[in-house]
Amino acid sequence: MLGLAGAGLTLGLGLMWAPSVSIDAFKAPEAQRIFYWHVPSAWAAMIAFGMLFVGSIIWFFKRSEWAWKLHVASSEASLAAGLMCVWSGCIWGAAEWGVPWDWTDVRLNTFAMLTLLSLYLVLGRRSQPDGVETRDTFAAFGMYGFILVPVTYVATRLWQIRHPGPVVATSEGSLNSDMGTVLLIGAISFTVLIIGYVMAGMRLTDLEMRLEDLQSRYEEGNR
Amino acid sequence: MGIIELSKITVIRGRNKVLDGWSISVDSGEVVCLSGENGCGKSTVIEAAAGLIPLEKGSCEISGQLIRDSQGRRGRTNFGLCLQDDCIMGDELVGERILDAAGHDFDIASLLKNWGLDHRIHDRVAMLSGGQRRRIALLSGLIPAMISKEPVAILLDEPDSGLDDESVEKLSETIRNLAAGGHSILVSSHDSRIISAADRIIEFPFSETKGEPVKGKFTPIEKGNSRNSYIGHRLNLRTFSGFANNGIAGLLVLGAMLALLEPAQLEGRMLTAFILAPALAAGLCGNPIHRLSLENRSHSWWSTKSAILPHAIFHSLILCAALTILASTITSEFNLQLILAGAFIGAVTESIVGLLSQATLRLSRPNAVMIRLLTPILLLPWALVVDTLSA
Repeated sequence: MLGLAGAGLTLGLGLMWAPSVSIDAFKAPEAQRIFYWHVPSAWAAMIAFGMLFVGSIIWFFKRSEWAWKLHVASSEASLAAGLMCVWSGCIWGAAEWGVPWDWTDVRLNTFAMLTLLSLYLVLGRRSQPDGVETRDTFAAFGMYGFILVPVTYVATRLWQIRHPGPVVATSEGSLNSDMGTVLLIGAISFTVLIIGYVMAGMRLTDLEMRLEDLQSRYEEGNR
Repeated sequence: MGIIELSKITVIRGRNKVLDGWSISVDSGEVVCLSGENGCGKSTVIEAAAGLIPLEKGSCEISGQLIRDSQGRRGRTNFGLCLQDDCIMGDELVGERILDAAGHDFDIASLLKNWGLDHRIHDRVAMLSGGQRRRIALLSGLIPAMISKEPVAILLDEPDSGLDDESVEKLSETIRNLAAGGHSILVSSHDSRIISAADRIIEFPFSETKGEPVKGKFTPIEKGNSRNSYIGHRLNLRTFSGFANNGIAGLLVLGAMLALLEPAQLEGRMLTAFILAPALAAGLCGNPIHRLSLENRSHSWWSTKSAILPHAIFHSLILCAALTILASTITSEFNLQLILAGAFIGAVTESIVGLLSQATLRLSRPNAVMIRLLTPILLLPWALVVDTLSA
């Protein structure tokens, strides 16, 4: 709830209060305000992808039930945050570049791929009965998919095509203090939101697994 | 040390621990029969021994070669395998299948005559009856030992299912003859005739009795030169699967672009994209042989023969080059660099999609996972190549 409230506050401040950039810097300066939503959701997605990787790798090598629950919850969280980021980016891109997507931009494509990987993990897992084969296969995809995270991170530094480079914690330091404040509120709120989402997801997965166990025991008792 | 060695293996299937720290050793010239009710773990033992199932703990070795261990290491050696599924693609020919399983040329006609299949030597397996197909699957499993003077391991999972009485008798006799030649046989069965051919019978869950089988007589089949399979390319030529799946997709994309665009007016990046798009579309359809190998779990059988599953990568290169030449001809932009790029992009894309599909083969419903969701990433390298070549 705290995270949701913070995300709402970020949206409100970003649209109503925070300053936009100078007219010369962007073709569509008003559309730039979506940045206050776009950047924190990308940040949240990266946290969720990180948790997905941790859950996948610990399940794969340690067979920990806790890690599997983390994998399940964080794949759903990364899908939600990834879609928010891609969707807001498309709107911004349509206004700023004249096209919502560029197939040659490495940052756009690797991030979208991470989001599609989350979608694949969520839908694929639902298509299979739970078991060690299912968990191993999807955990392996979760691990290999994480390769895209560092690629996405360095993409604008190595191959900047359309997507802007980093604006925070760089030597250029291009954000003024009001913009930085709203962005910081956004980053904190989205971090709280995504961690809360993952915790709730893990609890839900735990309940689903317990329900499945109870059903199996009930069926065995009826035999 | 036995020819077949399973050391303290633990296997989980679904949510059940089927084997827990279980070991078995089958010596040269020994036949061990696994018996017990359905679902007790007989097939799990055979598949674990063949390296088809990941192990939670322990390791499997055949003829001193590690086949699989709990660390995920895998190795391959010459052994015979017949699973409960026939594991044969319907488009394989009877004769070529047995020769592929043997890995050598030999007088296949007389072997097939013994098993009443000589008149079917040039037929596709799909044309056979269920019992005939089962005999082919069985011979594929037995042939590595039949042609070898050295001890070879044979793994048979309910080989008698679907066979008539005469064939079961013949199988029982063959098992004894192979054992007399020093070969090791691990077989699972409910049939009393197969059980009676065993030196040891393991009743699941794990009581062991000694058998008293009659002694057999082994004469190896004379083998000729070793043989390369190239099964994927042969199947592709026979079925035109690559053209029917990948080629048509490429042609459709080309047709759709021709309906929307005027090729003569294209230039720069758009022109390059027009020429390379059909090859990408063909590649995105994936490995056409992979689709065929899903039939009867034949990919499992082939995975014990080679780390690389059947493919037709050279045909893919040719097909994608042909599609690029066609697109180039339409635009009158004939450029060798573009044609090579088209061939390479198509074949690499196809291989990556094939690998993604293979990664899901362990699932209980591999066709239900939407692996195509991951293919859009392949547009990125294609777009970067288009940008580079049009610069």
